[in-house]
Amino acid sequence: MKIVKILAVVACCAVLLALAGCVASTPPVQSGTTVGILYTGFGTMPTLMATKQIDGYIAWQPFVEVAPMAGFGKVLSYTGDLPPDAVWKNHPCCVLAAREDLMARSPDLVNAVTAATILSTRYVNEHQEESGAIVADWLAGKGNFTYGNISVSSVDAMTRAIYTVKFTNEPTDAWENGILKFMAAQRDLGVLKGPLSNSTDDASKALIFDTGPYRAAIQMLEGKRIVTPAPETRQLGIGYLMSDHDTALFVAVKKWQYFNDTYGIALKPRDPTQSKPDLVDLLVNGQKVAEIKLVPGEFGGPLMQLASTDTIQFVLVGNPPAMASIDKGNPVKILMALNTEGSGVVVSSDAPASDWPSFLQWAKERSDAGKPLRIASPGKGSIQDILLSYTLKSSGVTVKEVQV
Amino acid sequence: MRRLSLAFPLLILLAWAAGAHLINNEFILPRLESVAGVLLDPLADRLGTGSLIENALRSIERVGMGFLLAAAVAIPLGIAMARFRRLNDLLDSTIQILRPIPPLAWLPLSLAWFKIGLTSILFIIFLGAFFPILLNTIDGVRGVKRTWIEVASTLGARERQILFRVILPGAAPTIWTGLRVGFGIAWMCVVAAEMLPGTTSGLGYLIMYAFNFGQIQLIIAGMILIGLIGLMIDTLFRKIEAKRFAWRELER
Amino acid sequence: MHGGSWNGEHGRQVGDQGMTSLRIDRLTKEFVTEQGEIVSALSDLSLEVGDSEFVCILGPSGCGKTTLLRIVAGLDQPTSGAVLIDGHPIDRPCPKLAMIFQEYSLYPWRSVLANVTFGLEMQGAAVARRQEVARKYLALVGLSDFASHYPYELSGGMRQRVAVARALAIEPAVLLMDEPFGALDAQTRNVMQMELLGIWEKTRKTILFVTHSVDEAVFLADRIVVLTKRPGKIREIVPVKKCPHPRDRTCRDFVEIRRHVLDLISEGSAD
Repeated sequence: MKIVKILAVVACCAVLLALAGCVASTPPVQSGTTVGILYTGFGTMPTLMATKQIDGYIAWQPFVEVAPMAGFGKVLSYTGDLPPDAVWKNHPCCVLAAREDLMARSPDLVNAVTAATILSTRYVNEHQEESGAIVADWLAGKGNFTYGNISVSSVDAMTRAIYTVKFTNEPTDAWENGILKFMAAQRDLGVLKGPLSNSTDDASKALIFDTGPYRAAIQMLEGKRIVTPAPETRQLGIGYLMSDHDTALFVAVKKWQYFNDTYGIALKPRDPTQSKPDLVDLLVNGQKVAEIKLVPGEFGGPLMQLASTDTIQFVLVGNPPAMASIDKGNPVKILMALNTEGSGVVVSSDAPASDWPSFLQWAKERSDAGKPLRIASPGKGSIQDILLSYTLKSSGVTVKEVQV
Repeated sequence: MRRLSLAFPLLILLAWAAGAHLINNEFILPRLESVAGVLLDPLADRLGTGSLIENALRSIERVGMGFLLAAAVAIPLGIAMARFRRLNDLLDSTIQILRPIPPLAWLPLSLAWFKIGLTSILFIIFLGAFFPILLNTIDGVRGVKRTWIEVASTLGARERQILFRVILPGAAPTIWTGLRVGFGIAWMCVVAAEMLPGTTSGLGYLIMYAFNFGQIQLIIAGMILIGLIGLMIDTLFRKIEAKRFAWRELER
Repeated sequence: MHGGSWNGEHGRQVGDQGMTSLRIDRLTKEFVTEQGEIVSALSDLSLEVGDSEFVCILGPSGCGKTTLLRIVAGLDQPTSGAVLIDGHPIDRPCPKLAMIFQEYSLYPWRSVLANVTFGLEMQGAAVARRQEVARKYLALVGLSDFASHYPYELSGGMRQRVAVARALAIEPAVLLMDEPFGALDAQTRNVMQMELLGIWEKTRKTILFVTHSVDEAVFLADRIVVLTKRPGKIREIVPVKKCPHPRDRTCRDFVEIRRHVLDLISEGSAD
């Protein structure tokens, strides 16, 4: 019996050692190029770049633009320009999603909110500088961003950034298919384990989209008459990201007077002195129809979580978090687009790369030297993450998550 | 003694100023001047979240409320637990299990139970302050000399009078220590609590916001302010302790 | 009442208005130890205490004298038997009896005056009256100048005087004193004994005084109740009426009584 026990212990140790040997120390010899991805919030990225712990990052605007403005990095490529061309040009980004129960219960209200967003998106496209200033006010109180010892005006940063974001709402076939591409990427990443993990394209579209409100909204706008919804008794919520991808929302609130006077629909802030209003009244044709709180979130995941608990009913969010949440059973649907593109890859100022081919070259050199590049990305499963991983892989690069 | 306790922070400031100039990389160590610049302009709006002062006041309000709530529950409960053996036995193991859990860990549950808003924040702060106050109250009440209680009995005091005229005053210094420690912990929880979505003000919120935009000087300024306020309030507690509860030390 | 010597004769009859009778009737106290043993602290103890009498309870340590006093005070319950004051049984603390403990009895967070007014506060007396009464008794114990001081500023002897004043302030009929001078040094002790006698003379309280000091008992008491070792029974009650106050420790009667009591104690310990 004692012998058996000893043998068992030895066997266990052997297994453990073998496993350890597999996981630790020297990586197997790479024939190709490896790039490491580090997941972290944008807040740490400038410091990580400046202390050479990362060689670059991918982020959404305005975090791309501030790098060259503050001098701690340069823009390698905006995401719309990443290869392969056919894939990422006009790639979908943020979407407007809403809870199905609200859509069933108060379709007029959902249509109205959709209409307001469409109007505001149009305004942004026609008044980019003004919109940039509004975003700067909303996100940063028009203050300065200081990186290192350089201060960058948020207004300048936002106005520069806004030109790289394409604000559009129409849920075209191309756009829907683009979203399905993200879905395919999520499947490969193993993020989707529910119905979206193996549904057909048509089935997936049925699960993900409901363009009813968009079409109804367009009709109302063309007929120049917005249906006044029945007043809503409970307080509603709109969740949004702290990103200029959601500019349509910020402009809708800040320019409420204009929209009210011109179109009879507005999101009027309770306290207009706040740079970031958290409570608005939905006014349609002069009538207060609903009280809506505006809830900012850092990432899509937590916002979708709030939607699943019915704390908020509308979300302005990246499409991957929305799909992942739908896959988990969250009763929401994507109504329409908010923007396409609007993200970028930044590398350190002294990087020997200025475009994608030279970047790949650089990656190979560093990989061969045993010091693979490290690129930071916000949020696993986010648009940026998927874009980067897929672009690297399709360029023949092995992507590995950096363990800290 | 006072001079000595001022000297050390001054030393740190000097080391910081010197270090920052030597390192010369704001990302690793921001210059003392840039952080001081933020602190010395406490009324200026910061990234649209309000000024340092406004956010500080919001945080103090919240911590104050959560703290008072915790005291309102912990002190009577502590007295009851010290007085009634059975109650103590009933609750003791639960308290010992809950106590080591960091308030931060309750964030997701707090959000689920109390939704976004003030209540979920107050819950976290409540948890931080509750246990020190409770345990010190139990300790303080147990430490009230039996003789004091018996004297009161023989002088004609009824139960209720003994509670308010002997037990509470006798336990007061220990309870006060519990309050001081509890407030300190509650103040530490501010940053954690204000991380909850739906918060739009407060020093914790400001720091998180600044962090999201990589604004290091603002983060450090916020940290220093949190530290200073914590120090001020702790000092206030100690001053009151020295004034009204000196008798405890002098008795020894 | 006249000042000067007090010859131990009752000047009044029991039952007269304002007089108090204290009777201890077949008191037995047993308690169960942690191990489950039954220990007998007091056994079938009976005693009658006359109005304004100064009775000392004396015995070796562990003989149950403090237990006896606490039962009389109503702080503990007897296993059988009763204590009656003016015919009423005592089962809880009663305003007619005030107890003075050996130490740590003053409330350190209250001033001397506030300590003395404590009992009156509990009874609901108005502020002005409380303070008036308190000052009267503070004067009696000679601490008028210390009304605003705090206990930590006082010496041991002074603190016990405050305790006495506090007890007197509720104007009890009986003072129960549990080795009140035990924690004081010899000098202060002697002074306090004299003072107590003075106070007793002026206030005419009945005093039940527990001590393990033979000398103290002989110096103070009208009668000394000598208890046996546990379980406490009355060995003998020794009258000390022969010696008028203030007693001379060197006088023959004093020495004789003292020797007799000492013998009683050492015999009791030897058993």
